[in-house]
Formats: sequence, structure tokens, C-alpha cells
Amino acid sequence: MNDNKTSKYSFVIQFAVPVSFLILFFLAANFTGCDLVTFWKRRSHLTDLVVDMIPPDFSYIQKILLPLFYTIQMSVTGTVLGTFFALVLSPFGAANLEFPAVMRRILRIVIQILRSFPALILALTATFLFGLGTFAGTFAITLYTFAIMTKLTYEDASAAGKKAYQALRAMGTSKYTAYIHGILPEIIPGFLTNALYLLETNVRHSSILGYVGAGGIGLLLNEKISWLEYDKVGAILLMLFLTVCVIEYFSRYLAALIRKERMIKKEQARLLLLFLAALFLICTFTLSPPDFSRTSPQTLRNMFAGFLHPDWSFFFSAKKDGLGYLLLETVCIAFIGTVIGAIVSAPLAFLNTKRFVPAPVSVFFNLVIMAIRSVPFLVYGLVFIRISGPGAFTGVLTLAVCSIGLLTKRFTEALDALDLRPYHALLAMGGRPLPAICHSVLPQLKPVFTSIILYRFDVNIREASVLGLVGAGGIGAPLIFSMNQYAWEKAGAIMLGLILLVWVIDMVSEKTGAGN
Amino acid sequence: MNLQIQHIAKEFHNGTKALADVDFSVSQGEFVSVIGPSGAGKTTLFRILNGMMDCTRGQVLLDDKRFHSLKGRKKRELQKSIATIYQDFCLVENSTCLKNVLTAGLPDMGFFQGVFGLYGKSRKKEALKLLDRVGLLEKADEPVKNLSGGQKQRVAIARALMRHPAILLADEPVASLDPVTGRQILGLLKSIHEADGVTILMNSHNLDFSKEFSERLIGLKNGEVVFDGKAADLTDSITRQIYNKKDTMPENKRGVAYE
Repeated sequence: MNDNKTSKYSFVIQFAVPVSFLILFFLAANFTGCDLVTFWKRRSHLTDLVVDMIPPDFSYIQKILLPLFYTIQMSVTGTVLGTFFALVLSPFGAANLEFPAVMRRILRIVIQILRSFPALILALTATFLFGLGTFAGTFAITLYTFAIMTKLTYEDASAAGKKAYQALRAMGTSKYTAYIHGILPEIIPGFLTNALYLLETNVRHSSILGYVGAGGIGLLLNEKISWLEYDKVGAILLMLFLTVCVIEYFSRYLAALIRKERMIKKEQARLLLLFLAALFLICTFTLSPPDFSRTSPQTLRNMFAGFLHPDWSFFFSAKKDGLGYLLLETVCIAFIGTVIGAIVSAPLAFLNTKRFVPAPVSVFFNLVIMAIRSVPFLVYGLVFIRISGPGAFTGVLTLAVCSIGLLTKRFTEALDALDLRPYHALLAMGGRPLPAICHSVLPQLKPVFTSIILYRFDVNIREASVLGLVGAGGIGAPLIFSMNQYAWEKAGAIMLGLILLVWVIDMVSEKTGAGN
Repeated sequence: MNLQIQHIAKEFHNGTKALADVDFSVSQGEFVSVIGPSGAGKTTLFRILNGMMDCTRGQVLLDDKRFHSLKGRKKRELQKSIATIYQDFCLVENSTCLKNVLTAGLPDMGFFQGVFGLYGKSRKKEALKLLDRVGLLEKADEPVKNLSGGQKQRVAIARALMRHPAILLADEPVASLDPVTGRQILGLLKSIHEADGVTILMNSHNLDFSKEFSERLIGLKNGEVVFDGKAADLTDSITRQIYNKKDTMPENKRGVAYE
């Protein structure tokens, strides 16, 4: 009797969840104006921009080198500083480490607020404080890294075993020291791997910071795109691709060292550390100092007054240019973008790992995915805007392509970490390969893929607010406009809305994530 | 150092009574075993003794100094003279054996030295000597996660000795080891007890081991002391009384005590 009940229940669940998901998907697609017919009709425009970029203007490369260095400088310094602050402060955010609850709450609220904004918006805010230039960019990247790393680290610390920590406490060690020696060694490999990820992400983020005047190669990119000098744009993208390649392979090498999969001699390790330290020092000490000449106390006062007194009529407006509508549009863009990205990425991931396809194929797809990832997503926005015009659909397409990079990378890692023994066990019993995969591989992948997709959805909600730069719909354009026009009440209302939205999404994804 | 436990009781927030009335004292140089069925309150007692938990009533005196209900620095000061080894070792798995032993130096170091792990030459020398004493010198640079259970417990013993403890608490030191390894570990503890004259308070499931290695047994049942005497005085009828399944607390209470 009892069994009947559960099977009925699971039957409903089995169908209700996918069906409601599909309904949601189509509603959101309709809402964002997804129009495959127009897309197909105007598909030729996908390539014409690319054709204009080839061949790139190689003579222009030497002019790119300095801004490229600024970009790397912002990402390296920002990542290192952000990671360092995260390392120092994260224990205060961890649960069950006996630190005062007040400290934990304050830290978590600060992190939650910082995490609601993409690096670009942080950089735009920083330019009002520190003037135009790389200092503002570095500041933004530092904050961005700090927020993400702190969250990841205190979550890891909360999940790590507390036994050694408690043993140290029982000997009379202070909390902080016991944390450093009892818990940190257990989580440091994951911590460093995350930091390497972020370094790579930050290179891409900082390549567009120039759009808001925060220094780096984005300034040139913006200029050349608006002057229609596409061969020069091609040269910039080529250099960015090379940079991302170098950083990717270097960080993979370092990650292998951290995980102890690759060993080097002590002297080599010392040289490597020296090199990394030198890189950081060079990047940090050549940083341009902040330029306070344009910062007036009046602006700052207006800014904070605006943040403290948001425009409530805009906040609660239910009209088409009201906050609610824009936020809903942003969520829909992120949702559809993530789903399309996931659908494309899943097969790509299988082609990307050496476990399922021959090595040359995997290397080829590796490069393709790296190329997809190295292009700043504003460039995608510009490509897609020629097809679908300004609006939410362009945002969807852009986010979908951007999601492919990270989703494929994470999926591939999940595949590489997969335990194939159950699969072989089923084969050994005489099972056919495909059913064997369905019952041994897929159950293992489902929770991992789900959490990766949820994470990407979370990222996309925040990144969607940058799409406004190219007029691709959502909350980004009004936010950036109102900040540039010093309309701080409106900017404050939008920021508050974003913070609340991200918070709600976090809660929901935590609940569903726990259900898996 | 003399340890006096005077009528302590422990009640958890959810109303579970782990200790009802425990009263005994241990004098310098004894090797005492606390025995009793699951849920008798052994682990709770040990957590109160190493300062990770407070008792609700009664007091714990260490050489007539109050040990219970202390906070912050004062508590840490007294914890420094007590070392504990655990059933599940409680080592930092990713760190090397040497580093694990060295962590015992942390309570005596300043904040910055502690955070950056600047242990100094003399501490390193001593840690290596202790690793040699427990027979693991050649594993000094090996991460603990690569060791076997018995080896891990040896590292934990070296870490405890690094504290020069007045009292060594051994909370189920061999429960997760096989009998042969367990006997070796207890033999090591016994030899340390005899050579250094360190007081050892052990808590064990294994009655035979307790009888064989310790001089005095304390039987705990339902949070009360029901036997206190030499191993030879523990008759079969008393043993049966201690381990009588009927009166023991339900198994899940034990989980609460670990929290």
C-alpha cells in the first residue's frame, strides 16, 4: 500500500517537473522575444563581422601590447589581493568555528551585496571614487575576487572536518591559529584551484573594463568597434585569445602541481614561486595611482544620498519601464541563455575529454572552446545585435554563447572525475553499452551537472546586467545610463533590486541544490 | 598534577542527561581506565576534562585550580597541560606528520608566529625526536593521509607528548584499530606512562585491554560511577552489572554526546 503511494507520487514528480519546466521555458522564451525564424533568415549576418576581421591588422599588434599588459596587470593584482583578503577574512564567515555570530552575519551580508554586481558595475562605481584608469579597474577586480573567494572558502571551511581543529583547540590553541593549522591545510588545494579559475575569468572581465573608463584593452576595443575598424578588432581578439591560452595552460599546470598530480624538484618549485612573486610585484608596483582630481566630495555625497534614498516610485512601478519588469526580463534572459548553453555544452563536453574521444579530437575542441571563451562577450553582443536587433533576444543569444565556455569546462571536469567502474561492472555482466551508460554514468552525472547549471544560472543573472552596454535588454542599460547621468536615486533603486533578486535566486538554488 | 572530579553532571539543551553524578579523583602517575557501555557518558566526561564542553553541575579541579566554566585565555592556559588522543586521530590529513606534531607547539606561541607557523629549530628537533620515539621518523615528511590507522595514532601520540602533558587523555584510542595494532598502541602508551610518569586517563570499549594495561578501573553506567578499584577486584558479577543491557541508555544518545 505504502509502495503504491510512493510510486504514484514519484510518477507525478517525474512528469510534473519536466512539464512545468518546459512551460516556464516557453513562457520565458516568448517574453524575451526569442524568434528563431528571424534568426534563421538573418543568419548570414553571423559571419559577416567575422569576415571583416580576417585578416587581422598585424601591424596594429604592437600598439595593443601596452593596454594588454594593463589588462593582465589589473587581473593579476586584483586576483592576488582579493584572494589574500578572502584568505584572511573567510574564517569569520564559517559556521561552527566559534567566532561571534555578529561578525559572521556582517561578513556574509557584505559578500552577498558585492556578489550581486558584475565586475563591470563595480568598476563603473570605482571610477567615480578613484578616477579613470587601471586603479579603478584593479579595485573592482579585487572586490569581485574577494566576494567570490570568501564565499567559496567559508563554505569549504564549514564543510571541512572539524576534528583536527577541535583537537588543536583542546590543547589550548586560539581559534584563528587553530583554523590556520587545523582546517586550512585541508581546504588549501581547492582554494588555490578556485583562485586560478578566477584569475582566468578575471582576464576576460578586465578586458571589457575599459568600456567604463577603468583602463586596459577594453578602451581600444570600444574605440575600434565604434570606428568600424574590424581588422584592428580582429588583432585585439587574436591577442586576447593568445593571452587566455597562455593563462589557461599555465593555470592547468599549476593546478596539477597543487593536486600533486605532477611533481617538480624543490629548486624548480622555488624558481616558480620566485617567478610568481616577481610577476605580482611587477604588476602591482607599475599600477597607476588613483586620480582624485575628478572626485569631488559633492559627487560622493550625492552618490551615497542616492543609494540611501532609492527612487521608490521606480522601484515599485509595474509599468514596462519599471524595475519589476526589467528584473523579470533579466531573469528570463539568464534562464533561457543558461538552458541553451547547457544543451549545447553537454555534447561538447563529451568531445572535449580524452576519456571518450581520441586525443586529437579533444585537443581540437579544447582550442575551440578556449576561443569561444577568450572573446569578450560584448563582441558577441555586437555580432548578435546585427541579427536580432537591440532587445532581450540578443541578450539571450549572447549569454547562451558565453555560458558554453564555462559550462563545457565544468562538464568536462565532471566527466574526467567520473567513476567508470560501475559502467565496466555492468558491461562485465553482459549489458549493452547504451543502457549501461544510462544506469551507471547518468545517475552519477545528474547531481553534478545540475549544480553546475544552477551555478551558471546564478552567474548569468549577475552578468546579464552588463548586457545593457550593447543594448541587449534587461536591467543593465538603465543601470549604466543612470550611473553615467549621476541619477543616483534610480541607480540605488536598481542596485537594491539586483541585490534582492540575487539573494532570492541564491535561496531558491540552495533549496533545490539541497534536494539533489 | 592531581585531577579532582567533584560530582559533575551534564545535561544537554535538548534535555538529554549524559552525566548524572560523577565523582572521583586521579593522582599523579596513575593509569586509569574508564569503562562502561555505549551511552554511559564516557566521551562526554572526556570532553569536559579537555575543556571542549562545560559541565552543568559540580566542578573539575586541576591541582586545586578550577578548570570548569572558564572562558577564553584562562581556559586555554589550563588546557595547555592536558593532551588528548582520539579514536579518529583528529589529525590534519593533508599536512605531513612533522607538521602535525609541530601544531602542538602552537598554544605556547604568539599570534603571528602561530599564524605563520614559525616553530623554530628547537621545536622541530623535539618533534623529530618524538616521531623517532613512536617509530615514525622516516615518515616525517609524508602526508598523514597516506598512513595506516595505527601509524596515525602514533603521530597523534607524538603530538600529545609534544605538549609535555600533566595528564594524557586517551578517548577510545584503539577502537578504530585492529586488535594487533591496538595492542601495540596501548603498549606504547604503557611504556610512555612508565618512562615519563605521565598520568593517563583512558576510555575504552575493550574491557580486556583495560584490565591488562591499566592499574585502576572506573566503571561508568547511566552517567554515574558504579565501580572504582583495581582490575583484579572487578568480578564477573560487577562486570555484568556494568554492561547490563537493560538499563543502558538508547544508542542514539551517544550521537548527541559527540556533538
